[in-house]
Amino acid sequence: MMKYLSLIIILAGAYLAVPLQFGGNDYVIGIVVSALTIAGIAVAWAMLGNLGGMISFGHSAFFGVGAYGSALLAMNAGLPVFPSILAGGVIAGVVSILTMPTLRLRGPYFALAMLAFAEIFRILAIEMRWLTNGSGGLLSIPRLPTVFGFDFGSRLGGYFVVLTLVLLTVFVYWLIRNRPEGLALRAMHDSEDATLVVGVNATRLKAAVLVVSAFLTGIMGAFNAHYINFLEPDYAFNGSWTTLAIVAAIFGGYKTLWGPVAGALIVYLVDQFVFKAIMPSGHQLILGGLLAAIVIFSPSGLLPWLASRFRKEAGDAAHP
Amino acid sequence: MAKLLEIDKVRAGYDAINVLWDISLTAEEGKLTCILGPNGGGKTTLMRAIMGLIPLRQGAIRFGGKDISNVPTWNLVADGLTMIPEGRMIFRDMTVEDNLLIGGFTRRCRANARANLEMAYSTFPRLKERRHQLASSLSGGEAQMLAMGRGLMEEPKLILVDEPSLGLSPLLTDEVMAILEQLKAQGRTIILVEQNTHKALKIADHVYLVRGGKVVLSERKEDVDMDRLHDLYFARDVAANRQDA
Repeated sequence: MMKYLSLIIILAGAYLAVPLQFGGNDYVIGIVVSALTIAGIAVAWAMLGNLGGMISFGHSAFFGVGAYGSALLAMNAGLPVFPSILAGGVIAGVVSILTMPTLRLRGPYFALAMLAFAEIFRILAIEMRWLTNGSGGLLSIPRLPTVFGFDFGSRLGGYFVVLTLVLLTVFVYWLIRNRPEGLALRAMHDSEDATLVVGVNATRLKAAVLVVSAFLTGIMGAFNAHYINFLEPDYAFNGSWTTLAIVAAIFGGYKTLWGPVAGALIVYLVDQFVFKAIMPSGHQLILGGLLAAIVIFSPSGLLPWLASRFRKEAGDAAHP
Repeated sequence: MAKLLEIDKVRAGYDAINVLWDISLTAEEGKLTCILGPNGGGKTTLMRAIMGLIPLRQGAIRFGGKDISNVPTWNLVADGLTMIPEGRMIFRDMTVEDNLLIGGFTRRCRANARANLEMAYSTFPRLKERRHQLASSLSGGEAQMLAMGRGLMEEPKLILVDEPSLGLSPLLTDEVMAILEQLKAQGRTIILVEQNTHKALKIADHVYLVRGGKVVLSERKEDVDMDRLHDLYFARDVAANRQDA
């Protein structure tokens, strides 16, 4: 009951309070949209890391492919923007099939192979000039449309779209976690051999999670392309899409459902509003310090730490 | 009685080492077939070969008349072949209940998972008490119960039990054997691999002795002569031959 109540309060706050308070301030809303974009990638990344047991350094590839895929479909094929965002996600999912040989690798080897893949896609985006216009980038990508008189192309409109996308991403994650497949995936961290014995095709499941994670990351990239209306390879395939998402997920707690979202919001908003004001250049240094601190004090992240504090206090209250 | 599992001149092993040398044996439906033998004789390798965890180099395995040589493990589990592996192979970082539920992963038993869970709990009441504990907190005996409960969740037609008494006290071993006997009474087909000859023989219908990757003895339980069994088990026949020569 408490759980549903807090969920409703958070949703009401996100859909009503934030727009009412900051709706007129494009600067603030713009930064919140960036934070939510990172939150979406962080959830998709954590899904692969927590369920699939695969730590990827290459999610910027899926982000960039989704962004370019959707932008090109909208520009060259004239697809309406919302369907083309969906198509961008599908393209990222299909492209992730190319990276599947890396599933044979484990731990750091998988992570590094994915890093290499991300670099390959960045170079492809630069070299395939006939398609991507190379380093020149894509200009005037169609913006989000106006529906029923509401302009989704505005900063505030973008906020509602990205917020909904992030919530849908969390919902998909939750669905998978609660299916038998989610149980099997969690079991795989313990022992892949043992899951084989209970009838799980581990490779196929891992591949499926990779596709879903790539699809969701691609959706975030596609949204971003239509939100900023401009793409270039060094932006769309920038490694910081991966790093920021990883920092956010680990900070918030990558094993929890909401940890990556909370982590992205806290890390990015605090960085932009507080540290950037104090220290205009090199403010990311403080992020590194924050991450180190959370890993030292609570290796499982912020939300699990808060939850244990809360439980402790409730326990103290019950037994004074 | 119908033969549920037929192993026909199977040869298998690991890389450069061949372990099973044209081994043949059968398991009859509703019976408990016991495979005895010394360490390193190929018992576990045989179990792994049946489950498709290692490829066959020669020969064939038939399950319910169907050739299952080199069918992937997950399809075998879906067809009703269940292994309760040596060393339990439980998921230590998950709760007891999640460990059981994962036994109901295959599409065939998903719908019945809840009902099967209750059945597993009624067979192993101690698991119900510990349902929310992490599996890593279980004792050796409880871990064996958990592995067996998980196996039951798979709605097996044939259960392969690989050395359930490993690391258990005599009392707990008796308990495990009693449960296997109970499962047999329910009409389930079981292949039991054991080193504890006496306790396994008590509940067996048919006995195979596997040594050096071959069957050196195949007898109905009633016909087993313990002295001969021990001689074969400890390879006294080979020792005697050596002394003669």
